[in-house]
Amino acid sequence: MNFSVVTSQFWSLALQGLALGLIYSLVSLGYTMVYGVLRLINFANSEVFMLGTFTVVWIEIHFLNHPVASEPLTGIELIYTLVIALVGSMIACAVLAVLVEIVAYRRLRSRGASRLASLISAIGVSIFLMESMRMYTESRPQTAPRLLEKWSFGEIAGANFRIDTMLAIVAPIIIFVILDRFVTKSRLGKAIRAVSMSEENAKLMGIDINRVISMTFLIGGLTTGAAAFLYTTVYENTVFNVGFNMGIAAFTAAVLGGIGNLRGAFYGGLALGMLEQFASAILGSQWKAVTVFVVLVLVLLFKPSGLFGEAVQQTRT
Amino acid sequence: MSKLSNFNLRDTGAAIWAGWSRPVRTVFVIAVVVIIGLVPFAPKWGPTSFLNTPITSFENVLVYPVGMFVLMALGLNIVVGKSGLLDLGYIAFFAIGAYTQAIMSTLHGWNTWEILPFGIMFAMLSGVLLGLPALRLRGDYLAIITLGFGEIVRIVALNLSVTGGPNGIAGIPNPPTIFGFEFNLLFPEHFFWLVLSMILLVIWMIRRFTVRRPGRAWEAIRQDEDVAALMGVNTLIYKLWSFVIGAAVAGAAGVIYASKVMVISPDMFKFDVSILILACVVFGGIGNIWGVVLGASILAYLPERIRFISDARQVIFGLVLIIMMNLRPDGLLPRKKREKIQEKRTM
Amino acid sequence: MNKKIVSGFAIAAAATLALGAVATAPANAAGKKEVTLAFQGPLTGPDAQLGQDQFPGAQWAIELYNATNPKTKVKLIKADSQCDGTVAANIAPGVAANKAVIGVIGTSCSGEARNSFPAYRAGGLTMVAPSASAVSLTDPKAPDRGFPIFHRVVAHDGFQAPALVRYATKGVTGPKIYLVDDQTTYGAGLIKYAMAPAKKLGVVGTDSVPRGTADWTSVASKVKSAGANVVIYGGYTVEAAKFFKALRDGGYTGILAAGDGVNTSDFPELAGKAAEGVRLTAADVPFENLLTKDELASFTKVTGVKVPGLYSTTAYNAARVFLTCIEQGKLTRSAIQLCVNSSTFKGAGGSSIKFNRYGDIIGGADVGGYLVKNGKIGYDAIA
Repeated sequence: MNFSVVTSQFWSLALQGLALGLIYSLVSLGYTMVYGVLRLINFANSEVFMLGTFTVVWIEIHFLNHPVASEPLTGIELIYTLVIALVGSMIACAVLAVLVEIVAYRRLRSRGASRLASLISAIGVSIFLMESMRMYTESRPQTAPRLLEKWSFGEIAGANFRIDTMLAIVAPIIIFVILDRFVTKSRLGKAIRAVSMSEENAKLMGIDINRVISMTFLIGGLTTGAAAFLYTTVYENTVFNVGFNMGIAAFTAAVLGGIGNLRGAFYGGLALGMLEQFASAILGSQWKAVTVFVVLVLVLLFKPSGLFGEAVQQTRT
Repeated sequence: MSKLSNFNLRDTGAAIWAGWSRPVRTVFVIAVVVIIGLVPFAPKWGPTSFLNTPITSFENVLVYPVGMFVLMALGLNIVVGKSGLLDLGYIAFFAIGAYTQAIMSTLHGWNTWEILPFGIMFAMLSGVLLGLPALRLRGDYLAIITLGFGEIVRIVALNLSVTGGPNGIAGIPNPPTIFGFEFNLLFPEHFFWLVLSMILLVIWMIRRFTVRRPGRAWEAIRQDEDVAALMGVNTLIYKLWSFVIGAAVAGAAGVIYASKVMVISPDMFKFDVSILILACVVFGGIGNIWGVVLGASILAYLPERIRFISDARQVIFGLVLIIMMNLRPDGLLPRKKREKIQEKRTM
Repeated sequence: MNKKIVSGFAIAAAATLALGAVATAPANAAGKKEVTLAFQGPLTGPDAQLGQDQFPGAQWAIELYNATNPKTKVKLIKADSQCDGTVAANIAPGVAANKAVIGVIGTSCSGEARNSFPAYRAGGLTMVAPSASAVSLTDPKAPDRGFPIFHRVVAHDGFQAPALVRYATKGVTGPKIYLVDDQTTYGAGLIKYAMAPAKKLGVVGTDSVPRGTADWTSVASKVKSAGANVVIYGGYTVEAAKFFKALRDGGYTGILAAGDGVNTSDFPELAGKAAEGVRLTAADVPFENLLTKDELASFTKVTGVKVPGLYSTTAYNAARVFLTCIEQGKLTRSAIQLCVNSSTFKGAGGSSIKFNRYGDIIGGADVGGYLVKNGKIGYDAIA
């Protein structure tokens, strides 16, 4: 127990928790959106994230030719490099997520198979992707070049407002605002909500279910890709099993906020990031995971469908 | 392809079984058990020597992973298959059994047979502790809570001194001789026979449950929990029972596992194993005992058999999962749609 | 063998019988004159690099020996136990049952070793490990000791950890040490034995961070608020790189140090600028420092490896231990065991190797201190 850390490092921990939590939020969208329309845990999303991180490294090193030891970039070059890496990662993840849906879910869904069957085929996809990457990289971790010099805007109350931390906070918030608008306002967004309320009714209303589900996976893939870019930019390395821990954390965040709920994923991720930072500072990093799960159990006991509740639980069982 | 999905081994088998008289059935069961009991010697006999696992020792592979996975898959099947609860932290109960054996044998000098009831008891107790809060929740929330529980057990074992931290516990004794069967490294087949008899016992137990009140209650809960509650089934109690019985099976398996490998450490009880056992259940056919046994045997044995291709074997394993689930979404030997009625007649 | 007869005896007696059976096997095969050694370690899986670095050392020693056209040729087989105790528990009985195998070069990890002992002890198979460094493996009182079959040509953590503390605090006045481990058998073990010597100098904090953790900022914050000026990490490369980066980016300016788990060629690249000046130890002296140019060329030619990896030296030494015994005509498991226990061997660079009763080198193996400079790990001094 070390409570002095809380007083001396409070704002620093809070800021870092915010940055980490928002990355979790983005990945947890890949779970929550899919859960909303399919009522399925998308187990392969962790590997979508993994592929995203490798895509970012590949784009930076091989496509844009910045070897690992290269100096940080500045000005316009920095911006377009980061943007290309971000867009590349989002596209790669979106494509993979849609492929995962086709390979692991579509056929099973059309045959009316049980949810567990889809779960196992998704786990199969996950194992396949992770092990393929392990073979391809020969189990070696990959390093991303430091393209973004980690300069600081300054310190306030011990919290270091570093450029990468700020990026990891600002970018997800923008993405969430856009997504929230999209889901509530756009035609497709409405269709997604309709499917998540009742697939049967949506079908009756002439909604192309398969297309809506594909689009949901696509959106989940896009946000997961953005998270992969932020992760690689902040932590600067990746390894074939990077998705495993991230997947569990993001899934936890989704449940914590209320799975199937867009805003729930946002706040769930935030809460998880904060919780992890403070738990490891106060209790020691070895008890971090235990603390997270104990809090999760407590939350679920008092609010059985997460902090923000499921989007449309009542209408479907 | 359509033939593959239409052919129904389960129904064909059930039809043959129903046509037999009692003595024929008895002879058949004994013959099957004897043949399975002889499997450890398969590599030594010409026609079956292709079964031998390269690099790893075949007899040991039969105990762990094959035998243990079958046992745990049967236990998990009670939870997932019979009452439809998704448990992603099943390995925790196995770990509790294993640590019970490790701690009690090294600290108090008890032997495996004395510890076995305690291992089962502790696993059941933790099943109650976890189940009471968790089983009030539905579906996927249960999944994440059980997942968390699995991780908590592993992390606690990693951090306590009584469990030896990351080093785990070494010097666990083998089980003492029983009925003239000696248990040590020279006779891995004895361990296999032990696990086999435990498997038979569990199968017998599940079949008894299925035709009695708990079985009917589980079936009702699985099909529609709300309706079951409406009809007067105390859903929480029966869910808890399935959870606890599943835990007991894993606890027993853990005790035997620890006394076989003699050294245990937290990294043997990772999340992946829970997932793998769940895959065994679904792959074989949720809810059907024989399917589960078949699924677990294949999924545990396959990676060892293809060990010579080392790196690629997990990739192939993933592919097998995807392809099989797409071809046979209900598993290799799916359960009957009207299980209750059929089961009554055949018993 | 009639099972009834055997079942009456205790394990030891049964082992003797098994040994007897083994002893006759090479005599039958005397015409062929080939014996087999097994290399056991991680060749695939997450820790594959460790084993893949070691294997060439053993391979080269054996190729050199076979090239001298000896009476008995030696074959080397791979037993990949992935640095995983669960896998090793199944691999070891398989190796022990292979009657051609008369010795095991391995294991690379301590966890593997402990789960292999029961099978090898029963089979009377001698092990010489290049890098399994947990103290308990040769501790006469530990329940998981490898007596009498286990030997190692590497300094155990009880030697390495104090050396690491010494090397980390070299030239630091008033050290304030912060110790972090990764909760693995290796990392936690190393820090456990570093604790006592570090406490004498002044410890300001400890933490245990599970392997696979991505975000190290909270740990970095704690280190900073504790006012540490020496950070010692017990763990492996990937996490060390993340941790040290987080520390440097968080404004930490003190010394960074880690044990042999971090001493891999990947580390400087992974940690980038944060790797500069990091102090590393290894219970291994770089192989290329001990070899002549011609020998290095031969090593590259035989193994296809340009720069020998970490623990090539100890793997070479482990193979030499067995080869020396084979040269003396010891071709059975029991003869090998006797020979390894009692003889004195010559390792790479002319070092002398003799094992004590519990399998450690008498006098202890050297621990080397390494410094990262300009993105490369360089040998600095004996730590």
